Amino acid sequence: METLLEVKNLETRFKVRSGYVYAVNGVSFSLGKAEMLGVVGESGCGKSVTMMSLIKLLPPAAQITNGSVKLDGVELTKLSKKDLNAVRGSKVGMIYQDPMTSLNPFLKIGLQLSEGLVYHKGMSMADALKRSAAYLDMVGISNSAHRLNEYPHQLSGGMRQRVMIAMALLSEPGLVIADEPTTALDVTIQAQIVELVKELRKELNTSIIWITHDLSLLAGMVDRIMVMYGGAIVEEAVRGEIYKDPRHPYTIGLLNSIPRLSADTGKRLSTIGGAPPNLFMKPTGCPFAPRCRFRMDRCEKELPVLETVPGAAPDSGHRIACWADVRDNK
Amino acid sequence: MATKERKYSLTKDAFNRLIANKLAMIGLIVVALLILIALIGPFITPYDFLSQDLMSRNQPPTSLHWFGTDDLGRDVLSRVIYGARTAVLVAFSVTILSFIIGTVLGSLAGYLGGKFDSFVSWLIDITMSIPSLLLVIVINVSLKPTLVNWMDAQFMATHDEFWRNTIWVDFAIVFGSLALIKWPKAARIIRGQILSIRNKNYVMAAKAIGVPTSRILTAYVIPNAIGPIIVSFSATLGEAMVLESSFSFLGVGVRPPIPSWGNMISDGLRVWQLYPHVLAAPALVLAIATIAFSFLGDGLNDALNPRQWK
Repeated sequence: METLLEVKNLETRFKVRSGYVYAVNGVSFSLGKAEMLGVVGESGCGKSVTMMSLIKLLPPAAQITNGSVKLDGVELTKLSKKDLNAVRGSKVGMIYQDPMTSLNPFLKIGLQLSEGLVYHKGMSMADALKRSAAYLDMVGISNSAHRLNEYPHQLSGGMRQRVMIAMALLSEPGLVIADEPTTALDVTIQAQIVELVKELRKELNTSIIWITHDLSLLAGMVDRIMVMYGGAIVEEAVRGEIYKDPRHPYTIGLLNSIPRLSADTGKRLSTIGGAPPNLFMKPTGCPFAPRCRFRMDRCEKELPVLETVPGAAPDSGHRIACWADVRDNK
Repeated sequence: MATKERKYSLTKDAFNRLIANKLAMIGLIVVALLILIALIGPFITPYDFLSQDLMSRNQPPTSLHWFGTDDLGRDVLSRVIYGARTAVLVAFSVTILSFIIGTVLGSLAGYLGGKFDSFVSWLIDITMSIPSLLLVIVINVSLKPTLVNWMDAQFMATHDEFWRNTIWVDFAIVFGSLALIKWPKAARIIRGQILSIRNKNYVMAAKAIGVPTSRILTAYVIPNAIGPIIVSFSATLGEAMVLESSFSFLGVGVRPPIPSWGNMISDGLRVWQLYPHVLAAPALVLAIATIAFSFLGDGLNDALNPRQWK
């Protein structure tokens, strides 16, 4: 598979009053053309910040201190503000978590959709509106010509998320980053949106990074899954492998904590004890060590490296960052 | 669809919503009337605001003097109309002045953040912590006589008529001192608006599709910020009017013989048990004007918010 995105050793930190919060600590991964990657982790594990760092959509307090991001061979970390704007407008699409607040209440849907096209593709407003209507049709919004003339508050949450998806796809970007796009929606709408994205992906051949904290959501959708913890990747493999043969204690914990209909009644749901690490200091050992039941002395002293799993299925691309071998005592 | 597409535009929608709001319309009409009266005042007053008629002092309202006359036989209606000129002039000058200062400092603070923001916030806190009454009195009492005396001296030296007219000095000092106590509120509102909108998701979303900064400011930040600012502008107009009257009432604002509702209320208060109309006229007009501004402000708030749609 041809590579679209190549991220190497990315580090991002936030300046706070008492020093820095190290949100992303040396993340490296790559993404193929038309590949769909799921990124999982709990709140504050750095999954969103990592992806936002790719196109520098970060708050002013954040700074990218290290690493390289290559999209289609272009190094994004060194681009000028203007060139970066052009990349944002034409090569990368974003879908945000909360559709209720992601549309400007003062601009009509049509204007808002067309904006990127007018500024970066040099389209006339009329053409841009025509194209916006076509994309609204594509994401399943009926009566699209009429919708262009409406304000965001006249649409339901599910429809707004469809509009956001149309907005992300309009400029035909090679890469779409979806940051928990279904978290704010109820389950039936969530299923519709997932189906929609799957279809669109087939149709448009776009690479998608889908950020979520819900492992079960990714099961029928993505090609590859990346599990993040404490600002680093802890496990990565093709989809089936993660569910069949998880090797990192954190991934195992996540999978065990998915509620199952077939589970014994009256039993407590399993959880991962403890709380996520605070990242005021760069972790010197494994960030998951304090919560890990496979913990060894080495874990607290040495930062584990992301390495190919011994004995992993070929082509699974299975890598973990863990010193322990969990197979003996799962 | 068979039905014709309805075209929507923000200003037109807002206007329609404003029209539909009865209280806001009352407010708008009263405010418009007040401004009109202030503009054409000298042409509609039945008498000069200074001309005294000592034979008919303290008369109750009659067909000759609709609001009666005061203790010097001056027509109260004419004085109330001239008072409207003072009130409107002061209200608009003070509000515009304080919003210019507030917008520059507040938006820069909100947008730049960091040290400049800390400095402006500190300045706002300091200014707000000084009792406004005290500040205005100190400024008026210390500056006004000094300036007027200096101008008198200039007149004695040059005999230039320009130095004899000290009324505008009076007004300028009143404007300045009132704007000085009003700008922090404007700055605070504008700073807060800019701060909160700068981090809104739709601004991020617009950045994500590469909308240029200038367009983000004009189409995303400002329209979303403008509602509360217009409302506060409208409220400040009313407040400045009341403040001017209060200070004129206390004798530190606009000085007699220039009529201001404040100094008319002050005059009327001395005789209100005997001749209540002398007090009632300016007090009522002031109350109506203030309420009208606040109705209008509320109506504008609802009208400018597209989420208030019916």
